[in-house]
Amino acid sequence: MTLTWLQLVELTVLGIAAGGAGSLTGIGGGLVITPVLTLLFGVPIHQAIATSLCCVIATSSGAAATYVEHRLADIRLGMTLELATTLGAVTGSLVAGLLSREALAILFAILLTYAGSTMIRRSLKGQATDPADHEGYQVKHLPLGLAGSGAAGIISGLLGVGGGVIKVPVMYLVMGIPFKVATATSNFMIGVTAAASAFIYYSRGDVRPLVTAPTAVGVFVGAWLGSHLMRRTPSRRLVILFSAVAFYFAVLMVWKSLHGGFAR
Amino acid sequence: MAWWREAAEESMAQFSDEKAQDAISGVLRYGSILSAVVMALGLALALWRRQAMPRSGTLSAAALLNNARHLDPAALTELGILLLLLTPVFRVVVAVVSFALERDTKYLLISFGVFLVVLGSIIFAIH
Repeated sequence: MTLTWLQLVELTVLGIAAGGAGSLTGIGGGLVITPVLTLLFGVPIHQAIATSLCCVIATSSGAAATYVEHRLADIRLGMTLELATTLGAVTGSLVAGLLSREALAILFAILLTYAGSTMIRRSLKGQATDPADHEGYQVKHLPLGLAGSGAAGIISGLLGVGGGVIKVPVMYLVMGIPFKVATATSNFMIGVTAAASAFIYYSRGDVRPLVTAPTAVGVFVGAWLGSHLMRRTPSRRLVILFSAVAFYFAVLMVWKSLHGGFAR
Repeated sequence: MAWWREAAEESMAQFSDEKAQDAISGVLRYGSILSAVVMALGLALALWRRQAMPRSGTLSAAALLNNARHLDPAALTELGILLLLLTPVFRVVVAVVSFALERDTKYLLISFGVFLVVLGSIIFAIH
């Protein structure tokens, strides 16, 4: 397999789009990469998930560096919950090795539907606002938080996403963490969570450098552009467009798995 | 008389916490940049030399480093991916060391636990 210019450009553009969308909507690039790679590029789903995990690490490391620098991420809370997310991630990636392409695609479609409806709900309600105070909070319901983080870790390792869709609501609604801190801390945790499962995909030979490297480089560029050039929050129309894309991908993935259209 | 000691200890903890956060943020930033540069270099060389790329995970770490040193495109690309995966692991190591320096036993144990889980995953991957 040799690399062609076209392939390189296409994958890098996919990465830029995913990285940009991730930093704009806060709902990660991981949701975009696996469907596009499987549906448009014909990459086998296990390899697509492995690439997505690597891209999720790229997004997290870049964003978390800034969050930690600005003291927005709660490192102690993050490390505590990481105990659960990394264990979940290892479990999820081992289970993914046992599942068929079709089963994974259907699980992914369920996640896309959930994420799409969350995006719409959040944009209709308006962005969560809480007092500007990022320091005076008390962590509540730690056991529940650990359970939620474990579940987020399993989903991350199984489907190659960051899992912020689960962790942020758990931290914000259950544990009483301010929304901004919850987002920053979730992002901080994603890198090590995804790494824990990425090594397992790597050992199975699912990380294909020719697919992973151009996409990951694109994600770095896209995330950088997203955070430096477009500082405003996305318009409602953009969010609705993203969720429409998520629903569309969900339908296509179910359709393909029922009709056996996935690449081996 | 204990008040000043408490205050001093508090400010020391504060000080090293600040340092720890800067170190963690630095590891994440420079790890990302390094991995992106190495991956991009590998891809550029692969295109330039029109070289085929084998699947990952077939070389030992020593062979990989040696090939990368000789600017082998496949080895460089794979090394870049590995640096990407290792960046968050280095971040955990920095956290372990910082909590040890701060004598924060509880979080030292917690971060060491996270490190053990990731290490387990790496050891599983090597076998």
